[in-house]
Amino acid sequence: MNEPKIPVEEAQAPAPNAETASAPANDSGLQWLSSRARSIALSEGNLFLLLAIVIGMFSGMAVVCFRITIEWVRLGLLGSALAPPPIRVLLAPAAGGLVVAFLVQKFFRAARGSGVNQTKAAVYVFDGYVPFRTVIGKFLTCSIAIGSGQSLGPEDPSLQMGAGIASALGRRLKLSRDKLRLLAPVGAAAGLAAAFNAPISAVLFVIEEVIGTWSASALGAIVLAAVSSAVVMRSFLGGEPMFRVPAYTLAQPAELLAYAVLGVVSGVLSLAFTKIIAYFRPRLRALPEWTYYFQPAAAGLLIGIIGLRIPQSMGTGYPYIDEALHSQYTWEILAILGFAKILTTSLSFVSGTPGGMFAPVLFIGAMIGGAIGGLEHHFFPEVSASVAPFALVGMGTFFAGFLRVPITSVFMVVETSGSYSIVLPVMISNTIAYLISRKYQDVALFDLLAKQDDLELPSMEEQREQIVLRVEDAMRKQDLPPLQASDTLARALEIAETSTEETLLVRFPTGRWAGIARKELPALASAHPKETQLREVLSTARLPILHPDQRLDDALRFIQGHPLLPVIGRAGSRKLEGVLSLPDILAAYQRAS
Amino acid sequence: MSDTPSIVSRYVQQRVLLLSAILLALMFAVTAALARSYHAREEGLVEEWFQKGNADLTAGRPAQAFEDFRNSLSYGPENPPVQLRLAEALLADGQLTEARSYLVNLLDRAPGSGEVNLDLAHVSMQTGDVDQTIRYFRSAIFGSWEQAPTRQRRNVRLELCDFLISHRLTKEADAEIAGLAADTPADSGFLREENGRLFLRAGEPAKALVEFEAALQTNPRQSQWLADAAQVAFKDGDYLKAETYFSKADREDPSEEIHASLELVREVLGNDPFLAALSNEEQARRTWRDFERGLERLRECQATGAANLPSEQPAPDLQLLGKDFQDLQQRLNLKLLGGDPEMRNEAMQLVSRIEDATAQVCGPPRGLDQALQLIEQRHEGTNP
Repeated sequence: MNEPKIPVEEAQAPAPNAETASAPANDSGLQWLSSRARSIALSEGNLFLLLAIVIGMFSGMAVVCFRITIEWVRLGLLGSALAPPPIRVLLAPAAGGLVVAFLVQKFFRAARGSGVNQTKAAVYVFDGYVPFRTVIGKFLTCSIAIGSGQSLGPEDPSLQMGAGIASALGRRLKLSRDKLRLLAPVGAAAGLAAAFNAPISAVLFVIEEVIGTWSASALGAIVLAAVSSAVVMRSFLGGEPMFRVPAYTLAQPAELLAYAVLGVVSGVLSLAFTKIIAYFRPRLRALPEWTYYFQPAAAGLLIGIIGLRIPQSMGTGYPYIDEALHSQYTWEILAILGFAKILTTSLSFVSGTPGGMFAPVLFIGAMIGGAIGGLEHHFFPEVSASVAPFALVGMGTFFAGFLRVPITSVFMVVETSGSYSIVLPVMISNTIAYLISRKYQDVALFDLLAKQDDLELPSMEEQREQIVLRVEDAMRKQDLPPLQASDTLARALEIAETSTEETLLVRFPTGRWAGIARKELPALASAHPKETQLREVLSTARLPILHPDQRLDDALRFIQGHPLLPVIGRAGSRKLEGVLSLPDILAAYQRAS
Repeated sequence: MSDTPSIVSRYVQQRVLLLSAILLALMFAVTAALARSYHAREEGLVEEWFQKGNADLTAGRPAQAFEDFRNSLSYGPENPPVQLRLAEALLADGQLTEARSYLVNLLDRAPGSGEVNLDLAHVSMQTGDVDQTIRYFRSAIFGSWEQAPTRQRRNVRLELCDFLISHRLTKEADAEIAGLAADTPADSGFLREENGRLFLRAGEPAKALVEFEAALQTNPRQSQWLADAAQVAFKDGDYLKAETYFSKADREDPSEEIHASLELVREVLGNDPFLAALSNEEQARRTWRDFERGLERLRECQATGAANLPSEQPAPDLQLLGKDFQDLQQRLNLKLLGGDPEMRNEAMQLVSRIEDATAQVCGPPRGLDQALQLIEQRHEGTNP
C-alpha cells in the first residue's frame, strides 16, 4: 500500500485544535496513542477500506447485541417454551405492539418498516445519511416487536442498523459525499452478513437490491465489511451455519421435476403474499394517524389468537425451520404452518410494526417447500426425495419469488445451509418462482413499498433489465479502407475525393490510429511535397480506440473532441470493424427509444 | 476532495479512528459480557428442559416429555442425548412414524450409534417388522456406545435373545445366546446364570446347565445357582446331578421347595429300576416294589377317585387297568423279574399307565407316585 508519509515536522506539529492543546499533560496513554495515530496517514481510498473493516466490526457487535436482546425479550415476555402459556401468547404480541407503536410514533418515526428501502433512500435521496437515532430506534422497537412474538425477523433491521452505523462513522470522519453514499451499502452488507451469518449472500443482496451494480469502488469495501462483521458475529455466537441440514444427494434427474413443481407453487404463493401486503398496507396507512398507535397492538392480538393454536407462526420461527428441515412435521402440518405464517406476517407488516421480512419469508418457504415435498413423496415416492431438501429449496424459492433477488436466493440457501449439493434444484426452482412472480407482478415488493411511501427509488430490477446499447449497435462500416501512415499525401488526396467522410482515419504500423480532416488536406499538400508520407505531417496525438462490445455510454465519454473514432476487433488482426461518430451514437439512442 | 487529506481533515480522521478503536474495545467488552450471560442462560435452559423431560418420561407422561425435549433442543440443537430422548419420548407416546422419522435422521448423522439403532429396533419391534428389528438390534450390538459399552452391548444382546425366543426363532436365539456366552467373562457368575436362564427359555437345558455350572465355578456355594443347576438337571432327567445340587442348595439355603425337590429326586433315584450299574436282583426288587405301589395307588383311587373327576372328561377305565394288573400279577414273581428284562419293562409300563390314569382321576401324583411317573417319562422309548 502506497501511503503518503507525513513529513516529520507535520507529524510533530501541535494539532490545530484547542481541545488537544488543553489536554491534561498526565494523559500519557492517550497522547501516545494519538502520536502513533498521527504517524499513520491514509488517503481517502485507503481510509475507506479501513473504515469498512471498522464498520463491519461495529455492525457485527451491534447485531450480536440485537439478537441477544430479542431473545431476552422473548424469554421475558413469552417464556422459554416453544409453546408458551396461552395467556402470554395472547397478550405479549399485543402488549409489544402497543409499546412499539408508542415508541415509533413519539420518538423513532424512521424505524417503521423493514429497513431495506430506508437504506436505499439513504443512498439515493439523502446522500448516505442515516440518522443514528434510527439505529437506536430500530434496535429497541424491533427487539420488542420480534421478542414479543410479532411475526417479523431481525435481518432487514440489522441491514439498516449497519447502514446507520456506517453513516455515523462516515459523517464523523467528514468523508466526501460520494464516499458517504457508498458507506450506507457497506454498512448494510455488514449488518446483513452478521444477521444471516452469510457474508456472500449479504454482499450479493446489497449489490442486487441496494446499489444495483458491481461497482469496483464499492465492492472491496462491501466485502471487507461483510467478512469482518461475520467474523465478529461468529466469534460471539458461533460459526455454525444458520440451518442444520441433513446430507442431500440428487438421486435421479426426475427429481428435478418435483422441484420444478415447487417452483410453480412457491411462485404463485409469493405472488399472493405480495398482493396481500400491497393491498392492505396503503389502506391501513390511510387510516387516521391516531390509529397508528393501535394498529400493531391489534395485529399482535390477532397474531396471539392464531398463536394459541399455531404458536409456530409467531416470532422469527427459526427453531421450526430447523424442525422442518429434519422432517419432523407431516406435509399437512407444514402446509398449515406456511399459510398461518403468511397471515401473521402480513398482519405484522401491514400494521407498520418495525421488523424484517427475511425470516418470515424463509419460514414460509421452508414450510411450503416441505409440504410440497411431502405431498409429492406421498404420491410419487420413487420420484420425490424426503421432505427436508424440499424445505431447504423452498426457502430460497419463496425468497426469490417474494423479494425478487434470484442470485442472492441461490447463494443464500447454499451459504446458510452449508450444502452445495442442493444448488441444482435451488436454481431450477428459484428461477421458475422468480419468473412467475415477475410475470404477474410488474413491480418488485421493495419498489412497491417505496412507491406507497412516495419515494421514487431506482428499481434495481428495472435497471438490470434495461437494454444496454453497445458500440456495435451504433457503428457503421467505412466505405473505403483506412489510410496507412506510409501512404503519401497524394494518395490521401485521392482517397479524400472519393470518400464521403469528413475525417479520414490513418493507421500506424504500431497499431496507433490518427485522424485527419478532409478539409485540411489541400493546405497540407500545398505546404509539403505530394510524396511526403502521412506519418511525417500528422501530429503525435493518438485517437482513442473503441471495441464493438463496449457500452455506448462509455463510447460517449471517449468521443468528446473527436469527429470519428475507429472501432477495432479484439482479435489478433486488430481489423477495423467500423467507425463511430457522435451523430451515429445519437441515432442509435433514438432508434432504441 | 483531494486524495491526500489536508492536515485538518487528517487530524479529524485520526481522532475519529482513535475514538473508534476505544469504542470498539468498549463495545467488545459489553458484547462479550452479554453473549456470555446469554450462552449461560441457554445452557441452563437446555439442561432445565432436559431434566424436566426426563422426569416427565419417567413419570409416564411421554407427550409432555416430548415437548420438554423439543424446548431443550431449541436452545442447543446439536445435543445427541436430548435428541435421542426426544425420539424415545415419541416412541413411548406411540408415535411410531414420527419416532422412526426422527431416529432415521439421527442415524443418518451417526450411523454407528448403538443407542439410535436400539431405539429403531424398538420402533420396528412395535410395528411388527421382525427382520428390521433383528437388523437394528445387531447394528446396536456392533455399534458405538459412549458409556459402559460392554454392558450396553450385552443388554442389547439379551434383549435380542428375548425377542427371538418370543418369536420362536429358537435357532437364531440359540446362536445369539451362544455368542453371548462366548463373550461372557469366565469369572462373571451372575452373567453366566443369566445365560443359563436364556438357554433354558430357548429350550436348551443341557447348555443351560453348562452355564449354571460355570457360574458355580466362581462361587460353588451360591444357593440360587445351585438350585438353578439342580432344576435344570432335574428337568433334563439327570437326577444324579439334580440330587447333588439340590442337596448342596438345601444345605446352603434350606427351603421347603428345595427340600421337597430333593426328596422327589431321591425317590426317583431310590426306585428307578433302570439306573445303570444296578444288579439284576436290585432291578427286580425295585420293579416289584414299584409294581406293588402301582397297585396300591390304583386301589386308593378306585375307592375315592370317582368324585374328583370332572363330569365332561371321559373316565379312564380303572377297572380294565385293574384287570390288566391282575393278569400280569399272576405271571410275575421276583425271580422272574430278575432274569427277564422284558418282564421288568412290561411291569413298569403298566405302573406308568396306572399313574397316568390315576393322575387324571384322582389328581396329580405325589411322593413315590410322582417319582414313578418321572421314572417312566425318563426311560420312555429308551429301554430295550
